[in-house]
Parts: sequence; structure tokens; C-alpha cells
Amino acid sequence: MTAATTTTKKSETSPVTQLEQSDPIDYPTKRDEAWRYAPHRELGRLSFGPLAASARSLPEELEEQIPALDGPRIVVVNGVVDDFRSDLTGLPDGLGLWTLADALSEQPEQLDAHFDRGADGIVDAFVALNMALGRDGAVIQVAEGHEIATAIHIVDVTIPDGTQNASCAGVVVHLGEGSSATVVETRIGGGSEFGGSNTRTTIMLDDNATLDHILLQDVPSTQIQLTRIEVTQAAGSLFRARSFNLGAMYGRVVYEVHLAGEGARADLSGLYFGLGDQTLDQQLTVIHAAKNCTSRQAFRGVLDNQSTGVFNGGIDVRPGADGTDAEQSNDNLLLSNRAEANTQPRLEILADDVACRHGATVGQLDGEALYYLRTRGISADEARRLLIRGFADQAVQAVHIEILRTWITDRLGHGDG
Amino acid sequence: MLHVENLTASIGGTPILKGLDLTVGAGEVHAIMGPNGSGKSTFAHALAGRDGYEIGGTATLDGADLLGMEPEARAAVGLFLGFQYPVEIPGVNNMYFLRTALNSVRRARGETEIGARDFLAVAQEAVDLLEMKQDFLNRSVNAGFSGGEKKRNEILQMAVLKPRLAVLDETDSGLDIDALQIIASGVNELSDPERSVIMITHYQRLLDYIKPDFVHVLVDGRIVASGDHTLALHLEDHGYADYLNHELDDTPERPLLGAAS
Repeated sequence: MTAATTTTKKSETSPVTQLEQSDPIDYPTKRDEAWRYAPHRELGRLSFGPLAASARSLPEELEEQIPALDGPRIVVVNGVVDDFRSDLTGLPDGLGLWTLADALSEQPEQLDAHFDRGADGIVDAFVALNMALGRDGAVIQVAEGHEIATAIHIVDVTIPDGTQNASCAGVVVHLGEGSSATVVETRIGGGSEFGGSNTRTTIMLDDNATLDHILLQDVPSTQIQLTRIEVTQAAGSLFRARSFNLGAMYGRVVYEVHLAGEGARADLSGLYFGLGDQTLDQQLTVIHAAKNCTSRQAFRGVLDNQSTGVFNGGIDVRPGADGTDAEQSNDNLLLSNRAEANTQPRLEILADDVACRHGATVGQLDGEALYYLRTRGISADEARRLLIRGFADQAVQAVHIEILRTWITDRLGHGDG
Repeated sequence: MLHVENLTASIGGTPILKGLDLTVGAGEVHAIMGPNGSGKSTFAHALAGRDGYEIGGTATLDGADLLGMEPEARAAVGLFLGFQYPVEIPGVNNMYFLRTALNSVRRARGETEIGARDFLAVAQEAVDLLEMKQDFLNRSVNAGFSGGEKKRNEILQMAVLKPRLAVLDETDSGLDIDALQIIASGVNELSDPERSVIMITHYQRLLDYIKPDFVHVLVDGRIVASGDHTLALHLEDHGYADYLNHELDDTPERPLLGAAS
């Protein structure tokens, strides 16, 4: 019996109850380091389940919030794929793309790695919920040796509608040996009601595969957005992640990257930009489990008003992972004396011949630079904007698709009003 | 054009400028020389509007009361300060910065803004004038620039903004002779009967390339002597000893030949 069929049964009644009865998993609390800054009261108000039928298609006005990428696209609205807004036609040679629901009914055995993470894989209640309820989403497969030039776009849309205000979705990515692809995951939302989404992406990279993965999180500030990305990398593979954690009252991005094959490389960078009461939480763990692997974590935060930024970055070098080269940096710009940046490196090194560097900074806008710009006639507001833009630029320039860079820059321009 | 009367500036209660008077007419080139710690840079920044000074006296540019204005408003009425230590601004593209600056100034003056394409021509002209590499405009403002490149970037900004009065604070320091000549020809190229320049410098060297109409000696927060360019030559030979009060702890960087004679 596979995990997939087990969870199917669970979803027939209330999955939360089922899970609690068979294998109790409590919601995380403030005592869990990884959830220390989460709004626990609001998390408890999320009520997972199928939303009303009316909320299963993408409203026209939300279309313009989505980056206008050409190419294949799957749009998930409140946990269910909107076929009308999705485009699975004209796939290039070597690319397989299905909705998660179709894949579950047609080839469930392909999804074991997504639904059966073993006892250690269920690290918290939201992972368990996602496994139980995340029955739709996207499955991406790239055949051995194929290079997919066009980006594959997965859009997750949350429009809460009252009683059931939260949904789960899943994305499964498998790149065959020596293949390459770009996957863009966009999170947006609509309406003004409280709600949220809990999405989970599992990625398998075979030998020498290369994946560019870009996450754009910009849901309304009435919502909670939980993103979890689990990556397993075989020898010589490369995972490049670019994260833009911008929206939500609580926007959480988790990367758990397992460097399982020799010479695998993970390059994770991102930006979080908090306004108002937002809490933007990045939880990263890179596990070096094989020899001569390289990892980079470079995250920048801009925090205004009374927003909170969290960077919790782990480098876990397992015994035998000799020749590890790992680097981590977290730089924060505080624009208000009520804003808060929390940064915590977690390093555990159990191998020899390891190069491991980490550094964190928290600073304010450079007064001398502001003055310099103003002596050139640039107004104080514009000078601030330029400096903030400049600080964020390192993360923005790491995105290789111009449409997305423009989308991010425009978004930051608005947010900084 | 510029009228400064009894200008005082102190930092945290310590007086730096102690009643400075200076008048600069249209089209004139003035040099202000003085030993370390005499207040040269403070004078430049007091005019430009840096925070942190307690200021007294008056300074007007074409009748506009500079001391009551924000730094950006001073730029809009035509003041430009070339920094001794230009600030590095990573992530801000030099071209974008220059265009934003020019359009800010034009907007403040009620002029139309310049579009990206037209601006390219303006910027290219300045790049050619200062013999800069083509990629210069696409780099971040001053980030990773050599000392000479930073100073050239200051003059490039001046060439783009075309100020009424440019105050160049130790623009010559840290430059080799080639860079000095390029910068000097840039400044000379931009001089016209409607624009004026104040050069603040420690050494006479720059004045070999940009000939001043007037030279002033600034000591202990006041201008203690003024003359034509021959005054600079005198200072070169004799140092500031003639003007130094023995109570000052300034250490001139050259032997005080004049003191021995």
C-alpha cells in the first residue's frame, strides 16, 4: 500500500481529525525554533478544506498580477487547478506536464517521493496537512538530456471564502539525468478575507541536472502563505533558487535541500521586503551528505514600519561529506526603528576538510549616501527609494528572466510608495 | 553670484568656521587653500547642506538663501559639490543615477524632463570629455571605482548637471598627473561667463592646470588673505607659516621654509 492511497482514505473524512487520531501531530508552537516568529493564533484560524465551487476559477482582475510569461502554465485556485486558465498545450520535446490530480489518478506510483517522505519527512502538522489534502497542483518531468528553454509557470491563487479559508497544493518536479529546466512558482491572492495556503514542492534532480527555481510570493496582507520546497540532488546536479517573499501577513518560505550525490551544488538567494505588520520568514536547511558539494545561501531583507524578517539558515555537514564548500550570508536593511530582523545561522559540521563561512548584517540607510544623492538634486524620498532599490538589486539581478525582474522591480516600486 | 557673510559652523559646540566672508562673481574661478583642519571641507559641506552643523551667518547664490534650503533645493538653484570622498552606492546604476539627478534638477526648475534616449547623448558627451571607458555608465555609482575614477565621476556629474557654481573639494587629491590633466581640461571645458568654480585644495599643483582668478587662504575658520594666482605660488614656496597662529596644532605637510628665514 502506498502512502498516496493511505492519504486518499484520510481525505474522505476530516483529514485533520484522522491524522490526529492515527498519529497525533500537534500544531507548532512558539517553542519550536522553526516557528518562533509565526502568528500562532492566526495559524490556528486556518480552516483547511475544499472551498466553494465559485472560487475555483481565476477572476479576470487577478490575471494582471501574474507575470506574463510565455509557455506552459498551471493555475491552481484554492487548491484546485483551473483548467481554463491553465495551458498545457504545445509542450516542447522532453517535457511532461500534468495536473497533480490527473497524475494521482493515472500514475500514482510516480508520486511516492512526494507523498511518502517517511516518518522523518513529516516535520510538522502543515506538512502532514499538505500530504493529506494537497491533491491538486502540478507534476513536471523532464526527460534525460533535454534542455527546456521556456519557463514552466505554476501559479497558486488563494481567494478565501469564509468557512473554509485555506487550501493545500503540491508541485512535483523531476529532472532526468543531464536535463535542465526553469520553474517559476507565483503565489497571489484576492479578496479581503482572512485565509491562507499551504503549498509544498518536492524536487528530484538526477545526475548533472540543472533546475532554476524562482518563487514570487505576493498574496494580500490578509492572508498566510506557507511554502515548503524539498529538494534532493544527485551527483553533479545544480539547484538555483531565487525567492522573493513579499506579500502576506505571514509569508513563510522553507527550503530543505539534500545534497545527496557527489559534487552537487545548491545556490539559494532571495529577498524579503516587509511593510506594515508583515512577518516574512525564511527557513533554510542545506544538508551536505556527499563529498565535494557546494552550497550558497545569500538572502537580503528590507524591513519597514513594524514588519519582522526572519532568516534561519542551516548548514548541516554530515559525516563523510569531505570537501564541503558552504557559504551563507544574510543582510538586512531596517527602515524603521519598529522593524525587526532576526537572523540565526545553524551550523553543524561532522566532516573533515570543510570550508564553511557565514555572516549576517543589520543596518540602516547610509546617511552619507543619502546626503550625496541629495546634493545632486535628488529629493530625500527619491534618494531613499534609490538606496533601497540598490540594496535589493543584488537579489533582483540574480533572476535570469527579464519579465520577472521587471515584475519584481515594479512590485517593489509600489510597495515602497 | 555667491555671497557669503560671517559664515560660522560648529560641530557639537566646537567652532570650525569662525566668520567666513567670500564673494564669487559670475564666470570667476576661485581657489581656497589652507592647512589641514582649517575648515576647507566644512565650508564646502556647509554650503551644500550637510546635517550636523550649527550654522550662522548668510550665504546666497543668485539671491537664494542657501542656508535655509534642503541639499536638493541648493542643487536646484545651481550649486554643485564635488566630494573629496565620493560615496559608493552599490546597486544603483550610474546612468540611472545621473538621469534621475538631472531630471530632479530640471523638474525643480520647471523644465521638461529628458527621456532615456536623449539622455544617452548627454551622458556620452560627458564620458568622452573625461576620457572614460564605455562601461562606466553601466556600473554602480562609484562602487569599486579607483580613486581617480571616483574623482572623474564627480566631474562627469558636474558636466551633466551644468551647475551655476561648482565647489570642488580636494578634487586633485590622490590623482596621478594624467588624471589631473583630464579633470582639469574637463573643468576648463565647462567654464563659461555664467558659471563659477571654487576649488578647494591643499596644493598648488592643480592650479598649474586650472588658473584661478582669485586665491584665498583659509586658516582657523577664516579667510586670512586673498590675492591673485601668485599667492598660490607664494604658498607653495613658504607654506602657511606666515598665517599660522602658534596656538594651532595644525601640522603643515611641507617643511616650513618660510619660518626659517
